[in-house]
Amino acid sequence: MVRIGELTILVPFDVSEPAPPELDVLEELGAVEVVLLGYFPVPDQAEPALVRDQHGSEAAGQLAALADQYGAVDDVLVFTHDREATIDRIADEYDSSTVLTTGRSAGTGRVLVPLRGDVNLDRILGVVADLLLAGDETVTLFHSVGEDTDPSQGELLLMGAVDRLAEYGVDRDRVDWQVSQDSDPVADIVDLGATYDLVVLGETEPSLRERIIGDRLSTIVDALDVPALIVRNVE
Amino acid sequence: MSGQSGELERTLGFVEAMTLGGGTMIGAGIFILPGIAAETAGPASSISYALAGFVALLAALSLSELATGMPIAGGSYHYVNRALGGLFGAIVGWGMWTGLMFASAFYMIGFGQYLVEPIPFLDGRIFIVALGLVGLALLLGVNYYGTEESSAFQNVTIGTETAIILVFVAVGVFFIDPGNLEPFAPFGPAGIVATTGIVFISFLGFEIIATVAGEIKNPSRVIPLSMILSVVLVTLLYVLVMLVSTGVVPFESLGDSPIPVSDVAVVYLGPAGVVAIVFAAIIAAISSSNSSILAASRVIYAMGRDGVVTDWFNVNHPRFYTPHRAIAATGGVTTLLILAGLQVDTIIALLAEAASFSFLVAYSLVHVSLVVFRRADPEDYDPSFTLPKPLYPAVPILGVVSSVVVVSQMATVVVVIGTGIVAFGVAWYLTYTRGRVVSEGLLREAIYGPPAEPFRVVVPVANPATQRGLLQLAAASAHTNEDRGTPEVVAVNVTPVDNPSALVNLEADRADHQRTLLENAHDIATKMDVTLRTRAVVASNVGEAILDVIEEEAADEVILGWDGTLDDGDDHVFGPVVDPVVRQCRCDISLVNLESDTIGVPVAFVAPGANAPVVAHQAVEFASVDDTVPTLLNVQTPRHEHDFDAEERGRAVIADAAEAAGLDPSEYDTQVVVDDDVGRAVVEAASEYDTVCVGLSGRADGAKIPYGAVTERVVHDVPGNVALIRGSRAELE
Repeated sequence: MVRIGELTILVPFDVSEPAPPELDVLEELGAVEVVLLGYFPVPDQAEPALVRDQHGSEAAGQLAALADQYGAVDDVLVFTHDREATIDRIADEYDSSTVLTTGRSAGTGRVLVPLRGDVNLDRILGVVADLLLAGDETVTLFHSVGEDTDPSQGELLLMGAVDRLAEYGVDRDRVDWQVSQDSDPVADIVDLGATYDLVVLGETEPSLRERIIGDRLSTIVDALDVPALIVRNVE
Repeated sequence: MSGQSGELERTLGFVEAMTLGGGTMIGAGIFILPGIAAETAGPASSISYALAGFVALLAALSLSELATGMPIAGGSYHYVNRALGGLFGAIVGWGMWTGLMFASAFYMIGFGQYLVEPIPFLDGRIFIVALGLVGLALLLGVNYYGTEESSAFQNVTIGTETAIILVFVAVGVFFIDPGNLEPFAPFGPAGIVATTGIVFISFLGFEIIATVAGEIKNPSRVIPLSMILSVVLVTLLYVLVMLVSTGVVPFESLGDSPIPVSDVAVVYLGPAGVVAIVFAAIIAAISSSNSSILAASRVIYAMGRDGVVTDWFNVNHPRFYTPHRAIAATGGVTTLLILAGLQVDTIIALLAEAASFSFLVAYSLVHVSLVVFRRADPEDYDPSFTLPKPLYPAVPILGVVSSVVVVSQMATVVVVIGTGIVAFGVAWYLTYTRGRVVSEGLLREAIYGPPAEPFRVVVPVANPATQRGLLQLAAASAHTNEDRGTPEVVAVNVTPVDNPSALVNLEADRADHQRTLLENAHDIATKMDVTLRTRAVVASNVGEAILDVIEEEAADEVILGWDGTLDDGDDHVFGPVVDPVVRQCRCDISLVNLESDTIGVPVAFVAPGANAPVVAHQAVEFASVDDTVPTLLNVQTPRHEHDFDAEERGRAVIADAAEAAGLDPSEYDTQVVVDDDVGRAVVEAASEYDTVCVGLSGRADGAKIPYGAVTERVVHDVPGNVALIRGSRAELE
């Protein structure tokens, strides 16, 4: 089975920031479709229409300039009290399975893909295959098994994933894999991610613990300097 | 590509709307007011709460319809301003803004009371005011610097305080001493109504749903549902709280307490219950006050948007994007109101009643606005929630009456303060708003019915020889379309000048020519009994100038004279003046070459297509000049040697077009010709009539205007008057 790349990436960024976001990774990504979402965070106390009246045209200009620069297929400007709700809504509207966070990348086309287990695995691999078929990146699949576990379990998962990518039509030379036995997978991903250009992460339903203590995904995304491509959990 | 200025996210769902509305209502009012209520109405104060809830429900019903019709920021103020104009807009706007500040100050003093009273050795008053100010300062800070996504926190606090109140009620019913409820209404009906005025402030929360209507998801469902439901639920809860409070503690001693609910709870919930109640009262005061500050800044924003106040208020903080000036102004006045608590003993009752007064006035005007909107029925007002038959007009009438009754029972000092605020609104309107804002509201339309939109025919005149004929056609068109609005003809003459400038005088004879032409037009129009306006324009490009007039007048139809030649050269089709008008004009356009003096019986060539109904209708319009019946002509080519159905097909085409044009079969004659050569057949048939109407292609985007082979032959070969007709772009696209 060979996948036909139909990857639409949603790139949300804060238009109220004076400096334009770092989006150089988009130039490395090859023939994927990009939708730019400029959101203007409106504090709870402010009336969105008032903020729009005052900053609307300026923000629209900034957004349009970026869209031109990166050849985005579409751009949307939203004034919102709730960033997450807006990203979800626009991603649904454009039928986009992935959301890219902004960040600086060195631009050699190396992608890190941490895999957790079976959660969301198919969708993550589908997106990775689309990426690889559209561009010429190389990818490292990564899995952390924990200190006391047998590493072969992780190897099995990763080798299965490599096979799956090959089935999609990806050249095996462009894929390698790595297993870690450290106790702290989050720190591993952040450390390792720094040496890559892009990290692909799967979104999971936050567990109760994550809702209270903080989402593990956002911890990683916040700690990473390089952009992260988040594969949405769309079921 | 998105819109130039960006979209707004609607983030408030049903739960958020309920917590915003219910959360503001549950709480502050019920923790602070039961003492005063019991003092003035006895155990019957539960009836006062029920009455206040009923008045609020009436307002919520009217507001729901208005809010689903116009879901944008501003709430009551916005609807009154739209319906009744700037004067009442100013009254309600200032009333709501001050009312919300009275409410905020009231909540913050109550907040101070709940914190201070349990500690016996503090001298109450100064500490109460000081704590109130500290609380207010915190809230203003949060609002000034802005918070994001506090709604989760809000939900938790409101859930907690609701749970505590529910426990208070659920346990309390078992401790009611029936003896305490006797006599039930020691101060009679007057006491009950007077208390209604004091406790009405407890129901302000649902209004906040209307002030954030612009941010509510699925507004047509969520707005009415959350407003009505929150009022009903909160009313039930309040009635129960009041019954429990007056049932457990005799109303005389309840009346002396500044922290009545806590004093009741101590009877059957013990110290733990008191701690819980104090906690709930404090967070209730904070969340209610926060909502009021938020709503106050929205009201000021909406007033600035409409020009009722200066837009100096409507500026976001450059870094925090909060409406910092509106918040600072709100905070400043609220601080003064809290400070007044140092001098005035009955400050709590006074603030509550003053806030209630402002909102009762606002709601009576909201009810009036609903009636005005229903009667004037402006185009953009299309509420998805409408009050059904018996509720309308019952709700607005009852709403106004009940508000007036409640206001009439208020303390004199409150009526004086409230009237002062209304007077301030009037004075503000007279000195500031009037003259700046032209919006008059819909009152006139509500009284006289919606104004008839004029049906406007623009006719450019330049040549005295054809002027009469063109005006005749324009007048006929205008009269035939009387059902679409008051007919009006606008005659325009453009004097071409190379470089128009105010400093250069027109040559006298050209100006004279223009004046004579337009004066003649007036004479002709008077005879034809049609309203005529004339416009004299001086411009460098005649075509552009005509287009500008068509745009400005929002013309429904243009009748344009033309010399009857088709130039197939490179430059122009109909001529340098006519071409740009034909190419860019968006309304119905008739290009008329008047060869004969009489219009007589027009014939319209009807071919299937979007243009056909317009052509057919135009023929009827022209026919009315000489009071004749036009012929609608269709030509069919035989498909087979013996095609007996061709005539049938032609009749069907004509009938379809006539129906689409809204014509009655008695208004036209039908003629079908079967011929191989459509052009020849049309020319032959048309030559027997004085005037022929032919469609002009709707596609005019290229450099050349396409007109089609049939049109070309008609123009060349038909000796009578020829009119080329094209419908408005909107119909053709």
